[in-house]
Amino acid sequence: MTLRRRLVDWSLTGFLILLPALVLRASLARGTPTALDQAVLRITAPLETAVSWVVEGIGGTWSRYVALVDVEAENRELRDDNERLRKELAAMTRRAYDVAALEDLAVVKKRTPADTLGARVIGAPLSPQFRVLRLKIDRGDREVAADMPVITSEGPVGRVDRAYGNYADVVLISDPSSRIDVVIRDPSQPTAPSNGARGVLVGLGRADSYACKIEWLERQGRPAGAPGAGDAKVKVGDEVVTSGLGASFPAGLVVGKISKINGDDGMFQAVEVRPTVDVSRVRAVMVLLAPPPPPDPDAKTRRRSEPAFGTRPL
Amino acid sequence: MRTATIVLAAYLLCAVVAATWRVLPWIVDAIPDVGALTAAYLGLTARRQVSPAIGGGLVLGYLIDLISGAPPGLFSLVLALTTLAARAIQQRILVRGAAISIAFSAFVALISGALALIVRVACRMESATFAIELSHVAQVTIATAILGPLVWRMFRRIDATFARTHRERDAALEGLAP
Repeated sequence: MTLRRRLVDWSLTGFLILLPALVLRASLARGTPTALDQAVLRITAPLETAVSWVVEGIGGTWSRYVALVDVEAENRELRDDNERLRKELAAMTRRAYDVAALEDLAVVKKRTPADTLGARVIGAPLSPQFRVLRLKIDRGDREVAADMPVITSEGPVGRVDRAYGNYADVVLISDPSSRIDVVIRDPSQPTAPSNGARGVLVGLGRADSYACKIEWLERQGRPAGAPGAGDAKVKVGDEVVTSGLGASFPAGLVVGKISKINGDDGMFQAVEVRPTVDVSRVRAVMVLLAPPPPPDPDAKTRRRSEPAFGTRPL
Repeated sequence: MRTATIVLAAYLLCAVVAATWRVLPWIVDAIPDVGALTAAYLGLTARRQVSPAIGGGLVLGYLIDLISGAPPGLFSLVLALTTLAARAIQQRILVRGAAISIAFSAFVALISGALALIVRVACRMESATFAIELSHVAQVTIATAILGPLVWRMFRRIDATFARTHRERDAALEGLAP
């Protein structure tokens, strides 16, 4: 090799060393790929994609179909975990349901002006159409007695039929033997007094629903001059609430809504009621041990007596 | 033509290694430095002129820059310098046999890793702590040493196909500079 060719070769070598240094400096200053970089990437990308596809396909085949040494043990372990977690989930769901029911009972207890006793539902015989016929609660004859009302946060459930040992049977409001004195209220004006129509709620005892009817539902409302006076014609959707008469259920508990009007002879109306309480979902109830005390007629008018000898609290 | 074929084969090998190592999570950091091996081979087998080998290393470095997302010029410079270093070594030692090939592969990986680190520091590019860089270079060196003889055997086969005489072919398969 001649000296001239050697010089050209080493000059070219020096240039090829210097070139990437300059390119690196420029790319660091610029920060974005040049058009040449993008063009090369566009050309080489399909090749790299193809290589990746082949390699990952082979690797995937290996890991999915050949290298399955620990898969059986891992599968068994995961199945066991799954079963355990399902059981835990079921237990937690049940507990959450119980907690929600107890929270409801606490609310009921707070707003009910009567002595109450919480009880857990431990049994519910079903009809052939899977409707609850009556409830069994975990309170016995030492705690509850026959005819005590049973309620939830949603409304009345029924009354204690009989108590024995540590249990008591609750007859539902949908049972033909159940009778509750009720009045009708317009749901669009829940704070207004009822229209005066009164009646007796009686269970229909159907095997496929919890429907009730109201017997002797008055057609005439309150007398002229009284609040809510006038016609007491009811309509579908009107709320049925307890009247508080009969010294059993406190007044104002929503029993259900009128679902069907069967007749109106001008004196009495025949209607069907759909109860608000879904008995099949009730897990805890509240038993009213004693009727609420009668309201004090002087509650807002009576003044506190003056303290003796002029002493006052600091 | 020979250099271009070797560069193309090395580029394909880089793509295969990148795709393969992605599905091998337990050795994900020990990626063999195919670029450094190729640059060293080009330097070792450079004929009378050095510039074609340097050019081959530069082009491969540029492609690796684009694959790896490094700033263009980083691996081009590193591989060009590695080729030059290998060319300088070619005139002093003979790389033949498995043991020397493995040792030389490890040496090449170390040189390449050190050059990359120096260039990054010189250009004020971001880098990990020294311990992490050292650990990475060590793992790459081991992987490169294991894969080096196989890669060079492949390059020798390619070289043999470009031989014009039986003597050149035998020399290429033996790893001797023609």
